[in-house]
Amino acid sequence: MSFKKIQEQANLEWEQFTRSKPLRVLIGSATCGRAAGSMEVMQAFEDELNKRSLTAQTGVHEVGCLGMCYAEVLVELTGADGRRVLYEGVGPGFVPTLVESHLVEGNPLLDKAMAVMEGEDLEGVAHFSQLPNIQHQVRVVMRNCGVIDPARVNHYIARGGYSGMHRALSMTPDQVVSEMTASGLRGRGGAGFPTGVKWGFARKSPGDVKYVICNADEGDPGAFMDRSVLEGDPHAVLEGLLIAGYAIGASQGYVYCRAEYPLAIERLEEAIEQMREKGFLGERVMDSSFSFDIKIKKGAGAFVCGEETSLMQSIEGKRGMPRSRPPFPAVSGLFGRPTNINNVETLASVSAIMEKGAQWYQGFGTEKSRGTKTFALAGKINRTGLIEVPMGIPLRTIIEDIGGGVPGGKKFKAVQTGGPSGGCVPAQFMDLPVDYEHLAEVGSIMGSGGMIVIDEESCMVDVARYFLTFTENESCGKCVPCRMGTQHLLKTLTDITEGCATPEQIGTMRKVGDSMKKASLCGLGQTAPNPVLTTLRYFEDEYRAHMEDRKCPAGVCRALITFHIDPDTCTGCMACASACPVDAISGEKKKTHHIDQDLCIRCGSCRQACKFNAVVVN
Amino acid sequence: MGTISLTIDGQGVEVQEGKTILQASREAGIVIPTICDHKDLNPYGACRMCVVEIEGVRGFPTSCTTPASDGMVVKTQSAELTTLRNRTLELMLSGHPNSCLVCVHREACEKYRPGATKAGRATRCGFCSNREECSLREMALRAGENELGLPTLYSAHNVERSDPFMDRDYNLCILCGRCWRICEKIHGKPAISIINRGKWARLGTAFHKSHVFSGCTFCGSCIDICPTGTLTDRFARWYGKPDDRNLSACTLCAEGCSLFALTKSRRLVATRMTSFQWEASLCALGRFALAQIVNAPERLIRPAVQEGEDQIPCDWDTALELAASELPRFTESLAIVVSESTTREDRFLYARLAERLGASLIVVPSSRNGVEKELQGFTADLEKGRFRAVISGGDFLSAELLKGLNFSVVIDCLPSSGARGAKVVLPAAVLSEVEGTWRNVSGEVKELPAVSLPPGQARPEWQIICQLAQKMGLEGFEFKSAREVTSLVGSDPAPRPFDGEPRRGLRQLPSRFRGHLAADWVRPLEAFGMPSTPLEEMTESSKEGFEILERREVVPNMYFIKIMAPQVAKFAKPGQFVILMARETSERSPFTLVDWNGAEGTISLIIEEVGRSSRELISLPVGARVAHVSGPLGMPLPMEKKGTVVLGGGCYGIGAIYPIARGLREAGNHVIVVIEASSSYLLFMEDELKTVSDELIIATKDGSRGTRGGVQEVFVNLVQRGVDVAMFVAVGCTFMMRMAAEATKPLGIPTLVALNPIMVDGTGMCGACRVSIEGRTRFACVDGPFFDAHGVDWDELFSRRSAYSREEIEAMPQMVDLNALIHPHGSGGGCGSSCSHR
Repeated sequence: MSFKKIQEQANLEWEQFTRSKPLRVLIGSATCGRAAGSMEVMQAFEDELNKRSLTAQTGVHEVGCLGMCYAEVLVELTGADGRRVLYEGVGPGFVPTLVESHLVEGNPLLDKAMAVMEGEDLEGVAHFSQLPNIQHQVRVVMRNCGVIDPARVNHYIARGGYSGMHRALSMTPDQVVSEMTASGLRGRGGAGFPTGVKWGFARKSPGDVKYVICNADEGDPGAFMDRSVLEGDPHAVLEGLLIAGYAIGASQGYVYCRAEYPLAIERLEEAIEQMREKGFLGERVMDSSFSFDIKIKKGAGAFVCGEETSLMQSIEGKRGMPRSRPPFPAVSGLFGRPTNINNVETLASVSAIMEKGAQWYQGFGTEKSRGTKTFALAGKINRTGLIEVPMGIPLRTIIEDIGGGVPGGKKFKAVQTGGPSGGCVPAQFMDLPVDYEHLAEVGSIMGSGGMIVIDEESCMVDVARYFLTFTENESCGKCVPCRMGTQHLLKTLTDITEGCATPEQIGTMRKVGDSMKKASLCGLGQTAPNPVLTTLRYFEDEYRAHMEDRKCPAGVCRALITFHIDPDTCTGCMACASACPVDAISGEKKKTHHIDQDLCIRCGSCRQACKFNAVVVN
Repeated sequence: MGTISLTIDGQGVEVQEGKTILQASREAGIVIPTICDHKDLNPYGACRMCVVEIEGVRGFPTSCTTPASDGMVVKTQSAELTTLRNRTLELMLSGHPNSCLVCVHREACEKYRPGATKAGRATRCGFCSNREECSLREMALRAGENELGLPTLYSAHNVERSDPFMDRDYNLCILCGRCWRICEKIHGKPAISIINRGKWARLGTAFHKSHVFSGCTFCGSCIDICPTGTLTDRFARWYGKPDDRNLSACTLCAEGCSLFALTKSRRLVATRMTSFQWEASLCALGRFALAQIVNAPERLIRPAVQEGEDQIPCDWDTALELAASELPRFTESLAIVVSESTTREDRFLYARLAERLGASLIVVPSSRNGVEKELQGFTADLEKGRFRAVISGGDFLSAELLKGLNFSVVIDCLPSSGARGAKVVLPAAVLSEVEGTWRNVSGEVKELPAVSLPPGQARPEWQIICQLAQKMGLEGFEFKSAREVTSLVGSDPAPRPFDGEPRRGLRQLPSRFRGHLAADWVRPLEAFGMPSTPLEEMTESSKEGFEILERREVVPNMYFIKIMAPQVAKFAKPGQFVILMARETSERSPFTLVDWNGAEGTISLIIEEVGRSSRELISLPVGARVAHVSGPLGMPLPMEKKGTVVLGGGCYGIGAIYPIARGLREAGNHVIVVIEASSSYLLFMEDELKTVSDELIIATKDGSRGTRGGVQEVFVNLVQRGVDVAMFVAVGCTFMMRMAAEATKPLGIPTLVALNPIMVDGTGMCGACRVSIEGRTRFACVDGPFFDAHGVDWDELFSRRSAYSREEIEAMPQMVDLNALIHPHGSGGGCGSSCSHR
């Protein structure tokens, strides 16, 4: 079947999806949605529609993730008027009301509605694209997430999918490489190496058997960009891999995905099967002379396997351990053959670039950092979730406009970018444009896109300790600086938070960190000290307070703090006393309470329970 | 491949294309430090010591993994590289016991203690069997860093002793990966790999299986390539660095593999493969069994003749003359049975003797199952009465068969039931003790040099046959050496192929040596399922002896043990000791009392694992019984008021000074306790000592806590500070006590030390614990243990203490617990995570 015919069929199915039934329910059911209860919500919809005999007129569909974790479960309803309304925080118990009011009576529930996706305005409800957190976003990688049913290839094709591959096949591989170079796309796995240049190396490398690999071993704590894309739009990634294979001359592709992402793997498996059916995979792809196949390799979840040489070792069935470069994978990679590895987000961008052209892509971002970048916003921020913004956007826009600022009116202190390999960017750089160069300037990295927001109530030593706990665990143990360095850094950080470190140890940490940066074998070890070094750079006074005054200014490190009740503000409401798990708080109603320091375990429950901020930390 | 030229440290270097910078540097004679690299292994890049600077290349690439390229300009020396290497080394050493390397007393200590202490876990070089050969130690000493800026992170792994032939102490491992890489190179699929991640990364088998079931063939290459003391040959480890290495061959099966015989003071300590290649690898027998057979304590060492029912040891002439007078009477009814493992020269002479006497010669080859058709045929003939006399070169005939004969001579190296029934027994030198040649299955003739000395009066067989033949008046046996015979051997046939591939599997090994079951003499072979004669089980009553109430490893190798011993507890006084025997057959060993409770009837001890007897004691679990506890022994230390008293304790002495401190403080003294350990994680009983002292001062050899140095440094500081010390008491290792004595002597402060010579009965009968105090002989057990430190003849004490060092090494157990093999992590003992290391 010609690609044109395939597209026609796909458009038909898409048409059916959007218009065929008068009523439609879309439920965000990626892993994040499921964790929030989307499957129960779906069941509730089905039950309710069944009860009202509306099943025949209503389409109920799973879609991917829109990126608004804070508002899960997200449900989009299309009523008889054709207006699509997005509801937030939908629980199963709310479903009957929703069905009754919106679907049956045609009255959208204004207080639960988050946005109008399409159609006439609703009073007091913004249009989706006008939402403060959406208006600054540009969705290239996430173009289909939350919009299409990821299990249907035709949805993807109808939205322009596989036309990039179709276009690529009309070009020579060298032209494809040039197009990619021209787009200015840089590797989204973290290092930011120009994708076109990387492809060029693998293309030029001699060898009749070559491989392309999609690195879907997303392992940064708090990062879930790749998972969302794989779950919400697997074909975007697979098409990118197909294009990469064509460009470098490979006939076999691998997707290395961690086994902790079962839904992503399920989506990928389905998608590969569909590609085969459509003739996009196997012998003679789209009736061209190009043949290609894709295998999924499940990783066991070692962080280091996200490092390309370890990843290839793991695919080969060996222990995931990095090896020195040169030789680079482009020369000798998987099974000793020329290999190209790209990250999920890079490949999802590739398919969009090939569809719309390099010129189009160049329109986003800055001169040196073209295009868009996804970030996983987490930590002390109001609107946690996944966002996609053009490169160079000010940090302030991300934190304040898109993220909605720090909850509880607390002060923003810093943001950790790049996960455990990155560093913290303190509040003073609020207007920093977020791109590769500027982040590096302040000592952090772009990384794969994790952004953890830290507020004034977070201790920077504790934050560094958290990341080092992770890297100490995840170091493969092969090279000395990383294996031993992470242990020493973590031990010192733990000593600091426990109040048994001396100020001289700051120098030791800097020394160890410097050795790790310079002498470690792979990126994991070279970047593992970053959280320590950047927090030391911007928050040395906080470290010194722990060591010299035995105080934790943020009131986090238990060994260094005591809780007291301020007699002037305490109203004697008993809330703290009932919240205390060890009964350390005594006092009668309407009288000032008292904390017994010998019994107190410094858990902070009282502080949280107090509505009058009467519990103070020293 | 062409050559390329590059510049290294300003020197033009031409090398073959494809070489790494490290290889190119080596060829140019430029030394770059490295530890994970090995000439027989592929580049790995783990230790990060070999970093260099390359013009135009960012950062510090490792020279072992970076290919040299044309026109490259490399710098291997710069201030920054030195700093980087020293810091990497510092990091590496922080994960490896290092206190000896940074100890201020290292040189003096090593002079007094030339051999390593046979401890359990290695906690320092002095406790490491690999000390003399350690590449890491060598690199550290060369780097000259004698202070570490980082604390030691001691992981406190249990020493893995459940597998045959090897002890593995992962506390020493620096994860250079040489072991698994050589395993992969030689065997394709490695039996071991790095398991776990990060801090918990270590070497191991898949799913923690025993090596016996992991595909390991026990070729020993991992042990031989390990640069630290992590992987060791259990039998060879404590002998120290071999002083000679000779090319030889294994004669236990027809394969006849070449090997290196490693000897120390003309004693075979190990046999190793000649190079790290599959072709040169050895089987478990070739690698581990040869040295154990040669060194078997049961070796025949004297000729003997039968008189009545008994075998009486005699001199060579007597035995040879008896044999020479009897043998000629049998001619055609005489059979000579020899093993194929003997040298060609021996077999040539046996054949000549058989020919001269008209006797039959049967040569028995080695086989897997041990049922050789040659031997079966011979036994059948024997049963039919075809032979009336036999010369047997091994354990080929049962006692019953021999009894039926008129005359029998056994020429062998090990006892057997047959030998016990023989008329004449002649002790033979074997294997590495015999010079000669050997032809293997492929027809190659291999040289066998005599590299070790035979035990007792044992002689090589060629010599025995020549002397026997000469006594019989036969001609053609006038040889002065085996070499004279070699040229006469001519073209003897190659042996029949061995019916297995010993290097490929543990079930394919030859089961017998000279007719003896190999596993009878090398018991660990039982773990491979090899046949053996069951040992007589020692039965001990569980009701007798002294019950262990408490047992815990307080710091690595140091065990606190509480025993029910009411009679001792009732009479114990500070400074006294007890003698323990773990089992009825154990050695008696003395231990100072740490505490006692007359009402409870219990005594407490600190036992340090430093050899066989202490290991037996600390291996007993709670509820088990110590066979004997005798005591309290020795003179108590008088608890008198003197003023300010300083007590110094090191190692087990930290525990030993506890009751002394308590007693002296109760007597009204101002007690200052000083304890030393090589590193902070080896300090113990601090809280207890604080309760019985007015001041507790800590010293560590690596400076990780308290004063850097030992008790003596602290003591001198105290005196300089103006503390008026009335008496100093030091308890610890001999070296520590001697150093303390030397420090206090010029200050004129009365000093007492608790001497620790070898002791047997502890009651003044045997005299083993003789010490010289101011020229007078005293017994440490009844006159001591406390003596005036300034009068002790320390050199004599050191030499008497080391009198049995070889026997102490020989006594180290080689057996493996077959149950532990099946449940490798069932009951390990040791402290593991419960150990209170910091």
